[in-house]
Amino acid sequence: MSDALVSLLTALADDELVLGHRHSEWTGFAPHLEEDVAFSSIAQDEIGHAAAYYSLVGQLTGDDPDALALGREVLDYRNAILCERPNDDWAYTLVRHWLYDHADALRLEALEGSADPNLAALATKIRREERYHLIHADSWMKRIARGPVEGRTKLADAVGKAFPETFGLFEPFEQEEQMVKEGWLPVPSDESRTRFLDEMRTALDLLGLPTEIHAHTAAKAEFVASSSGDLISSEDKDAAPEDASDALGGRKGRHTSDLEQLWSDMTTQYRSNPGATW
Amino acid sequence: MVRHDNAVPVEPRGNVVTTRLATSEERVWSALATVPDPEIPAVSVVDMGMIREIEVVDGSAWVVVLPTFTGCPALPIIKSDVAKAVGAVEGIDEVEVEVSFVPPWTSDRITTEGRTKLEGFGLAPPTGEGPVLITEIGLPKIAICPFCGSKNTHNENPFGPTPCRALYYCNECRNPFEQFKPV
Repeated sequence: MSDALVSLLTALADDELVLGHRHSEWTGFAPHLEEDVAFSSIAQDEIGHAAAYYSLVGQLTGDDPDALALGREVLDYRNAILCERPNDDWAYTLVRHWLYDHADALRLEALEGSADPNLAALATKIRREERYHLIHADSWMKRIARGPVEGRTKLADAVGKAFPETFGLFEPFEQEEQMVKEGWLPVPSDESRTRFLDEMRTALDLLGLPTEIHAHTAAKAEFVASSSGDLISSEDKDAAPEDASDALGGRKGRHTSDLEQLWSDMTTQYRSNPGATW
Repeated sequence: MVRHDNAVPVEPRGNVVTTRLATSEERVWSALATVPDPEIPAVSVVDMGMIREIEVVDGSAWVVVLPTFTGCPALPIIKSDVAKAVGAVEGIDEVEVEVSFVPPWTSDRITTEGRTKLEGFGLAPPTGEGPVLITEIGLPKIAICPFCGSKNTHNENPFGPTPCRALYYCNECRNPFEQFKPV
């Protein structure tokens, strides 16, 4: 009966846990001290949100939240592939952080109206905290997009790499039909995706960054700046492009070797002594 | 929603003529007022507005805690400190501590006394009246320097050493300081 709710909560938790873990990899290595502090704090927030979602799963299934977070096999995770990608360079880290947190903001806004009262309350709480993530991501995007050309170029390259993979965040959840019917997920994933793409294209255009994902029907031109007026036909613009197909499947448990590496690091401690308390 | 911002529980005066139930609850509030926030020991969980409600029935206490931040690593410590303090109250045999997000904890739950104590601790209290609107994207305009009281300050980082703190700098007395984030 509540399998669909468990499926939804698990995917939400896995996105936050996996990306939170990636963010934590900047601890001690960020380009400057304030960003070391910022990414460590953002990581702590995301992992805290994951813990709260896993606790809700635990209330439904009786599972231990720690075991849900760290005691599963790689193929049991339901995070979008975008979240498991390595940090690469600073530009990619920022662009992914910006795209993900804007996608998460839309998702949380919808979930505040969830028919599950616990999820609705948690979404309200998390959304207030995530405000700071958006402030952080927006200010960095502006700063680099309006800065010297080298930074702009790196940012544009990172958009090219990360933007198509955001389709994975809006891939339908397992049993999505059921969760929409029950009102647990008030807005279906494809509707959220359309809104997300509209918002992000407007924002990217304002930043002077590429706004179009190379659609599978368009033979050439990887990116077309919308300000140039060269828009890809509207009926295809929201379809997942071919080069994004690698980014799909996370919601069904298809992952890349990137998650294997991350999982191995993330669960080392837990696997060496499951159930240990501190 | 029942608020206990100004709950300064006192020992019952004179002979207890009210029900025993009310007395126990006052004692529980008293005990909770001694439980410090592990990361900001100058304030108690009551000062921080983290206690939503309590109920005492036949020696069993039920306490509902609202976490300030979802990912607050101090939460397990707070739960166990609360359980210990309430468990030590005369007449309480059993304590259940529940963590809830209903309603979400917001920084306007910090009591007036709590705000004063935060300042004394060197931590600027959150600015603004009432909960910060979610639509207000942008940093809080003002953080008042807890050392010299100046409003001539600027934000250095929306993040700090704990999820609940942001870093500021006072242009007047030239001290770095932290603010408890409005949320």
